[in-house]
Amino acid sequence: MTDIEYIRPLNLKEALSFLWEKGEDTKIIAGGTDVMVDLRSDGLDKKYLLDISRLEELKGIELNNKELSVGAGVTLSEIYSSKILKSNALALKKSAKNFASKQIRNIATIGGNVAHSSPCGDTVPALVVHDAKALVADKKGTRLVSMEEMATKAYMSCLSPGQILVKFILTPYQGGFTDFQKIGRRRELAVSRISMAVFVKKDKDGRISFLKIGLGACTPTPCKMESVEAFLTGKIPTENLIWEAGGILAGNMIKITGRRSSAIYKEPAVQGLFMRILYPVVKS
Amino acid sequence: MVHIEFTINGQKAALDIPADITALETIRSLIGLKGTKEGCGIGECGACTINVDGKAINSCLMLGARLDGTTVVTVEGLATKENLAPVQEKFMENHGVQCGFCTPGILMSAHALLAENPDPDHKEISRALSGNLCRCTGYSQIFVSVKEAAKLTDQLNQLKKVGG
Amino acid sequence: MKSQNQLKYKSIGKNIAHRDVLGKIKGDAKFCADIELKDPLSLRVLRSTRHHAVIETIDVAKAVAIPGVIRVFTVVDIPGKNLMGIINKDQPLLASDKVRSKADPVALVAALTDDIALKALAAINVSYKDLDPIFDIEDALAGDAPKIHEKGNILFTRRIKRGDAAAAFNDCHTIVEKEYKTHAVEHNYIEPDAGAGYVDEDGTLVIYASTQNPHYDHKEVVGLLDLEDEQVRIIQAATGGGFGSKLDLNVQGFIGLALYHLKKPVRYVYTREESYLATAKRHPFIIQMKTGTDENGKLLAIRMRAYCNTGAYGSYGIAVATRSAVHGTGPYEIDHVDMECSCVYTNQTFSGAMRGFGAPQMAFAHESQMDLLAQKLGIDPMEIRIINGFKKGSINGTGQKLVNSVGFQECLKSVKPYYEEASKNWLTKKISPFIKRGIGLGGMWYGIGNTGVQNPSTAKIEMDQNGRITLFTGCADIGQGSTTILTQIAGEVLGVLPEAIHVVVGDTKFTSNAGATSASRQTYISGNAVKDASDKLASVLLTEGSNKLKVSKALLEFGDHSLHVSGNMDKSVDFAWLAKRIHKKGGSLSWQGYFDPETIPFDPETGQGSPYATYAFACQLALVEVDVLTGEVNVKKIVAAHDVGKAIHPENVIGQICGGVAMGVGFALMEEFEYGKTQSMKDYHIPTCADMPEVVPIIIEDSEPTGPFGAKGVGEPALIPTAPAILNAVSHALGKRIYNLPANLERVLKASIESGQFGPSGQFGPKEKTNV
Repeated sequence: MTDIEYIRPLNLKEALSFLWEKGEDTKIIAGGTDVMVDLRSDGLDKKYLLDISRLEELKGIELNNKELSVGAGVTLSEIYSSKILKSNALALKKSAKNFASKQIRNIATIGGNVAHSSPCGDTVPALVVHDAKALVADKKGTRLVSMEEMATKAYMSCLSPGQILVKFILTPYQGGFTDFQKIGRRRELAVSRISMAVFVKKDKDGRISFLKIGLGACTPTPCKMESVEAFLTGKIPTENLIWEAGGILAGNMIKITGRRSSAIYKEPAVQGLFMRILYPVVKS
Repeated sequence: MVHIEFTINGQKAALDIPADITALETIRSLIGLKGTKEGCGIGECGACTINVDGKAINSCLMLGARLDGTTVVTVEGLATKENLAPVQEKFMENHGVQCGFCTPGILMSAHALLAENPDPDHKEISRALSGNLCRCTGYSQIFVSVKEAAKLTDQLNQLKKVGG
Repeated sequence: MKSQNQLKYKSIGKNIAHRDVLGKIKGDAKFCADIELKDPLSLRVLRSTRHHAVIETIDVAKAVAIPGVIRVFTVVDIPGKNLMGIINKDQPLLASDKVRSKADPVALVAALTDDIALKALAAINVSYKDLDPIFDIEDALAGDAPKIHEKGNILFTRRIKRGDAAAAFNDCHTIVEKEYKTHAVEHNYIEPDAGAGYVDEDGTLVIYASTQNPHYDHKEVVGLLDLEDEQVRIIQAATGGGFGSKLDLNVQGFIGLALYHLKKPVRYVYTREESYLATAKRHPFIIQMKTGTDENGKLLAIRMRAYCNTGAYGSYGIAVATRSAVHGTGPYEIDHVDMECSCVYTNQTFSGAMRGFGAPQMAFAHESQMDLLAQKLGIDPMEIRIINGFKKGSINGTGQKLVNSVGFQECLKSVKPYYEEASKNWLTKKISPFIKRGIGLGGMWYGIGNTGVQNPSTAKIEMDQNGRITLFTGCADIGQGSTTILTQIAGEVLGVLPEAIHVVVGDTKFTSNAGATSASRQTYISGNAVKDASDKLASVLLTEGSNKLKVSKALLEFGDHSLHVSGNMDKSVDFAWLAKRIHKKGGSLSWQGYFDPETIPFDPETGQGSPYATYAFACQLALVEVDVLTGEVNVKKIVAAHDVGKAIHPENVIGQICGGVAMGVGFALMEEFEYGKTQSMKDYHIPTCADMPEVVPIIIEDSEPTGPFGAKGVGEPALIPTAPAILNAVSHALGKRIYNLPANLERVLKASIESGQFGPSGQFGPKEKTNV
């Protein structure tokens, strides 16, 4: 136990004011499922715990004018049960399905999952696929941050001490085919070894007209996979083509991470998962 | 120190707690209810599961300070003076308990599930309970217990409707 | 329609509620972390930071100076003998001259709070002189390996030789020779090890233990502290699982040492991380197995050289090596047997008892061998097991004739219809081009009780003058339901409801030694001891009752706390009357029961003997789906047929089977304890409910005449066939075999790639199964 002080601001403005002055000495806690683990193992070495879990401004899922916004404080349970997300960002909803456990989904937030900057954050691939931008606020104003910029390196977000993640703005997708899948060492309550999100649209000739890929647990920070997307766009997806594209995807991963010991598994498994996740597109 | 006020098992609680202790520690050490267990301390086993505002939560992952203003139910709050809760009764009847250490957490997850979904199928029970690890039972009799508890809960609700 | 056999029992075979279940479902059951104590001090141990080193100095001055630190203990504070061990005593409570693993305790801190204790740990200065460490079996066996213990790195070798295997191989038509590897596994009971204690008014050290053997704990603590038996009392608290790891002392010695010196209440609750670091693991194994058959598939010869890593201290290593040498043949008749199993020391956390004591590792090897042989011979895997499986009259590798209760063939027979149905229908259904289905069998046998040594149990039944019965048993119930079935046994003999029997369990002040809750022995051995005690009390009651009712004893029946004449409920006398009468006459109402299984110790050279009085048998069938693209394995169904002799409490047996299958799924696919790397439950995966297959339990009752009402045991058998069946099924699905447990994502995907199935499907029908 330490002398750390607990602060619960009543609104976002208050929170941002506090952080402007004291952000350096403050640990922000939203769902807490990552922070509490750190607290237990390393202590926090901070003077203040700022509890933003009840800030209304961070809640809510809304679809306005082609903009789908998901509050950073929305829990994984809320993401899973959202009808709006089911129709407009199904991959994100699916990423919440087997996220950790029910108990954790009930309090863990999407903002926390992204800000924690774990390479294995399960909400990230779907956010990449939806070209999500994070609205980051501090006392002086706001800015938009892409998913690729959110993490400077593994477990290090780009947020400065005065900043709070407010919401994510996604491009909603309807129609087409979308999915999220993960591979873990067991079927539930497992950190992803590999996770993947896709969104595909085909034109009337059966060619891929639009494709977005998000790859999780394979790179230190979120990365777009534009070369693979470009490779497949305009082509009719056959098994062999998808297989080839999966090879490129795996190759991209190796380029970014180097050949680690985990590559012995991940290189083929990325290719395999890519085939599995897009197989319905081949068949249809 | 933080001052918190909340309801636990139907009783009002008001106390001052250190800012950085967990809800688990608050409940066990400060309030003195030992039914909720620590199995791992990092949210990976579910033994510490309680209900906060109707939701199943790992109390080892929740700041004690966050209990402020909430309604909490722990395993001690399931039974009334006269009766065991349906989940408790059915776990007993259907041998869903062996060493008993995971049991309070599982009962709370099951309790939260049945409050939200009175007629869960196998998949739904699985999703609700997959955050509660058991090393003894292999889960089969636990699932039977939950299904039977759902039936009993339904029967009791029907009785209530007709003023029973 | 129930058979006469089943109808005749009032308590046996009934699924009564567990004795202690009410406390558990209400949250009232008191585990060691829950026990109320007045301002207990917090204990924490400083562990070695080196794998293998000589201790030069331990400087506790800074730690002692911290406010709130009451005392820091080192080896000099241990009044008795600083050596523990359940078979061979080689493990110090606190390190004296050297440390042999990073789990070794070096100092013990007692402080006002846990936080202060942790601060004190950080302030203790230990200087070490490093020695070369050994991490694995191969290094331990090397000629120039540094010695971890004075006597060298091979702790023990068990040899079992029968016939002439070398010559017999020359006559074999088909031979399979392979090497198998299994890895360390963590017990991962949900309750981390814990203990608490206080000093009673009369000076007795009272220690609450999370334990599987309170009487062994007692003996060990008395020895460590050089006290008399009456000066230490061990009470088994509610214990949240054990699976073998709570047989060694966990914190009892530390609690005792603190109580001895400080005379204040203390508590020590391991964090999960400390439990991972400091407690026993399942022995990792290297198994070289060579098996040969004639042209019809009849097994002729087996040769095994197996090595298990017992870590820094012996614990149950000798028992594991011995049991493995016996069980390595599998439940099969083989005339020529050449088995050797050695346990070797390394500088890792010690290995100890873990559900099965080497039999699960052996079964992985022998069941893989059976499938490989079947494949080479072109025989069905079920057939080859039927051909060779034990039956009444079979002689095992130690030369013991299996006379009674040999239910293996019946287990095979009951699984066979599921096996055939799955082969015909389930296997042929194609659900996706990338999912391959496979089915696999696993057979097993398991000797009940400690191997080839005496391991008796005792119990006491007492009747008071109101006719109330109390059962005293030192048998630790760790959730498996032993207390409940013991009351069923006593209740059956004495004609009372089990619920009416008062129980005193696992308290060394009141109970006597029942031996450990391990080796699946309690139903058989403690059950018999309880039956013995109950029979003795019954005999005395019958004598008195016969006197009173003026009929011969043979015409009397027990029921409803009384004796009555058969067929005449009016002619009866109640227990209270009988008890007062017996007491007045100076007769005894308190009877001690005893049972020790009949065994014949091993010949030290040939390993011939009768190591167990009875064996459990089982066969399991696994249906699996393998994703050839990712290496994921989904176990869809396990059919588990277990010969338990007699199911005293069928739901208990089912609970053990399902729990064993869960552990087997973990052992097969996802559990791998990596020394130094596996630190918390984030790193180690035991199955969740979502990982569980559908389990079809089949209880086979081939009555054991020497067992209480025919019962044997099931606790460990439940898990033993599961991983072998799953691995055989995975091999069947992929057409490529894995020889290394766990068959995790990496190993399965590698096998998929090597089998040529990893890739675009290219076709739309079920792929032909290729030979391995």
